Amino acid sequence: MSPSYLGRKVLQAIATLVFVVILNFMLFRLMPGSPERILLRNPHLDAQSIAAARARFGLDKPLLPLEISVDPPSLKVNPDSQFLAYLQTTASGDLGLSFEFRGESVTEVIGVRFWPTIILIGLAELIAIVVGLTLGSAAGWKRGGTLDRVGNGISLILYSMPYFVIGMPLIIIFAAGLGWFPTSGMLSPGAQYQSPIDQLLDFARHLVLPLATVSLGLIGGYSILMRSSIIETRGEDYVTTARAKGLKDRSILRDHAFPNALLPTVTVIAINLGYVVAGAITAEIVFNWPGLGTLTVDALAARDYPVLQGIFLLISVAVILANLGADLIYGRLDPRVRA
Amino acid sequence: MRSSVAARAARLTAAAALALSVLGPAAAPAVAADDKILRLGTLQKIDSLNPYVTALTSGYEAFELTYDQLVGFGPNLEPIPGYATSWERAADGHSWTFKFRPDLKWSDGQPATSADACFSWGLVIDAIAKGDSVGVGYIDPALKDAGVTKVECPDATTMIATTDDASDRILQTYIPILPKHIWGKMDYKQLGEAKFDPPADGSGAVGTGPYLLTEFKTGEYARLKQNPTYWGKKAAPEQIIIQFFGTTDTMVQALKAGEIDYARRISKDLFNQLKTVPNVKTVNGASNGWTELGFNTYGTGTGKTIKGGGPSTKALQDPAFRDALGYAIDKQKLIDNVLGGYGTIGSTQIPPVITDWHVDPTTPRTFDIDAAKSKLDAAGYVLDASGARLDKEGKPISLRLVMPDDNPNFASVGQFIQEWYGQLGIKVTPKVYDSGALVDVMLPPEAGGASNKADYDMFIWDWSWGPNPDDALQVFKCDAIGYSSDSLWCNQQYDQLYQQQHDAPTPEARHELLAQMQNLFYDQAPYHILFYDDELTAYRTDKWGGWQNQPANGTPLFAYSTLGETLLTDASAAPSPTAVPSGGTAASSAPTTGGGTASPAPSGGSTSSSGGLPIVPILAAVVVIAVIAVLFARRRSSSKGDDEDDE
Repeated sequence: MSPSYLGRKVLQAIATLVFVVILNFMLFRLMPGSPERILLRNPHLDAQSIAAARARFGLDKPLLPLEISVDPPSLKVNPDSQFLAYLQTTASGDLGLSFEFRGESVTEVIGVRFWPTIILIGLAELIAIVVGLTLGSAAGWKRGGTLDRVGNGISLILYSMPYFVIGMPLIIIFAAGLGWFPTSGMLSPGAQYQSPIDQLLDFARHLVLPLATVSLGLIGGYSILMRSSIIETRGEDYVTTARAKGLKDRSILRDHAFPNALLPTVTVIAINLGYVVAGAITAEIVFNWPGLGTLTVDALAARDYPVLQGIFLLISVAVILANLGADLIYGRLDPRVRA
Repeated sequence: MRSSVAARAARLTAAAALALSVLGPAAAPAVAADDKILRLGTLQKIDSLNPYVTALTSGYEAFELTYDQLVGFGPNLEPIPGYATSWERAADGHSWTFKFRPDLKWSDGQPATSADACFSWGLVIDAIAKGDSVGVGYIDPALKDAGVTKVECPDATTMIATTDDASDRILQTYIPILPKHIWGKMDYKQLGEAKFDPPADGSGAVGTGPYLLTEFKTGEYARLKQNPTYWGKKAAPEQIIIQFFGTTDTMVQALKAGEIDYARRISKDLFNQLKTVPNVKTVNGASNGWTELGFNTYGTGTGKTIKGGGPSTKALQDPAFRDALGYAIDKQKLIDNVLGGYGTIGSTQIPPVITDWHVDPTTPRTFDIDAAKSKLDAAGYVLDASGARLDKEGKPISLRLVMPDDNPNFASVGQFIQEWYGQLGIKVTPKVYDSGALVDVMLPPEAGGASNKADYDMFIWDWSWGPNPDDALQVFKCDAIGYSSDSLWCNQQYDQLYQQQHDAPTPEARHELLAQMQNLFYDQAPYHILFYDDELTAYRTDKWGGWQNQPANGTPLFAYSTLGETLLTDASAAPSPTAVPSGGTAASSAPTTGGGTASPAPSGGSTSSSGGLPIVPILAAVVVIAVIAVLFARRRSSSKGDDEDDE
């Protein structure tokens, strides 16, 4: 890989990141409804309390460092603006204070929600990639066979089902009905554990249903993509050559068709992995999984700008990095893009 | 690497399957079946542990369990001993003497005295004196409304509060009594910002209440344990866990599975389903709140107008017009169709659940489209040739009906209103907004800034209240315009009555004034209160007994106080004669007595699948999906015909 290719890609990523940081600030302030308005339906809040709340969250400062007015023409410079404060604190890794979880810092709020989402969605992606790619390639290789017909049908249905629809029956059957797994949460509330292994087992019991839900939801997409990719590869000359060499069917699929068919899926996988930190909102809500998806919904409802900004920034960084990763991997896998 | 992808995939899948099988039914539940933990389910994720900051009932539940108030609420909301054992008003009516237990202790063993009470009330009085509030300002108005200006503590068991108010509102304050030896170094500003995290060693927050907040996991749960030094009778639960859920569906499944003992605020469909589930009792408690159809009456009493905004017709400022529209609302039909029957017909701004102060209107309206039409005609709003109702300026009346998106019931109500008013010749255009955005649409210029245009005609929204009717009354005062008023109604007589009832010397006098205010409100109709919606709640009867609604037609927990938690008994123990649910039907209580001694009943599995769990329909659905999948696959392959090879 040439250094110029690498450099260009990294520069692109940085430029995107800067753009995202600025957009991040503007976007959430364009949203209708401001946080102190949410409090307004409290009949006791007088003008003073509202002003105090605004000051506490820095909402009393002007939005932008420069205010340009056409009529009358004027240019006002605000040395102390929300935007500069945002840039300053973001650069130093401080994402501010949460509005909704009053008194907690955004880094703290997001921090505790980060790992549950990474574990849930990360594992689900892993399972879905392995199962989906296996299923898809097997189905595509024996196109029209029983596995293809049933497997592809199920894939399409799973692909079109929202997590809520997959998760609720699982809860009704396996949690409320059979009592095998808990309905929701990540750990049994208030449980006292004898050992870390007990805690891990408890965690795993809570993980099973949400993990199954998200994996099932993801398998379809990977399987469908892999199937069509394999079908395309099946007609390539090198497969015919391999067949002519007298190689076994299995080894043609494994050594020749599969690796080549994997190329288009790499992009999808890389982008999807970037979105791992976004969580699976509906699945997390159904199981009250304390991850970033649930946090996003709670923060949206409360107009918790700092937390939303933090999540948005995190997702953007992850997606940009994942794309950069995809570019670099692609550069390695496919000589044509290296130039 | 290349050769092993598929093989590795197979191995991984096998490993995952193995892991799943290990975790399955064989894994022991992490919490023992005989734990004495009361588990409460709610969708309200506690926003703050600071009593002065939380805005949610779940947050109040947590701090009220930990910290006593001076005076508590009894089963019928009457004053009962809390931190104080007795209270007495001076002959001149302007001071109250509270007496405390001489041997009262904080949970850390320190003596709890009048100093703590004076500290806790003093903070709030400080803030009020400076025109400020502690935290976000939900707690202190109680003291402000009660007119408390000063507190003194002459000895360790006495506190004297001076008030310029003649009412007994001083007995209905939600001010937590905090330990001075822990919080005493802070002023009200610092306290309003404090985090109130429980100590990390698990010893629990220091309080005098029945349970102490011990652990809090943001967005997951709050755990409280019994206070060993609590002055009152100890309830059966040794711990209380308030567990948060993302959806009512999951919460109800958790109740069915026995994972939680109480589910708060569930949807009407799930509520009806739960009625047939064994060991579960459903309660539709009357709630202290309502859903209203409100009018933008901006200009009423002030004559002001808003440039580029405000109501679209002057008819909205006319009480006769609003009165006539009240005859075109079938409230019972709304309750039956929208609430599934779980509600009471709406009338005045003091809900009937406040039995002491609610009065029914003297001249109630009934549903009668013809009466509405003739009243509109009589008031000068006539039909034109095309059948459209005209205002007095000769313009067809077309009303914009706005509502927030956070309650699906509102949109259904809106459709009914649109239909009924259509019959009167009045066009209604409903529009749903995000609730934050709707506040922006509805604010008048008085809220500060000319960008506020109050640009709407009617709205559907809801309110809920505390025990003091003043809160609800105050929303309709002239000075609430720009703050909490959404009808933007202003009526001098109403404002005068408000002040008079606030200063009324006796409850009888206050009742008379409140009756006048309720009738004035009802006749003038800035709102048509559509219904008082019930709060739908369900709890399990196989683990805990002694459930008692507060008040009798309310709900057992998340009520006016945390009395309900302290009355709970162990359901597996011998039935206690005092534990008769007051409002409930006797037949459904204590259905578990038969197996009481024979089997200790495992906590999770005892529900069994016999009790209305919809496993059969779900299995059927799975089969249907599988069949569809096969058919789908077939059709695809047959449509390709013999084109088995590609391209």
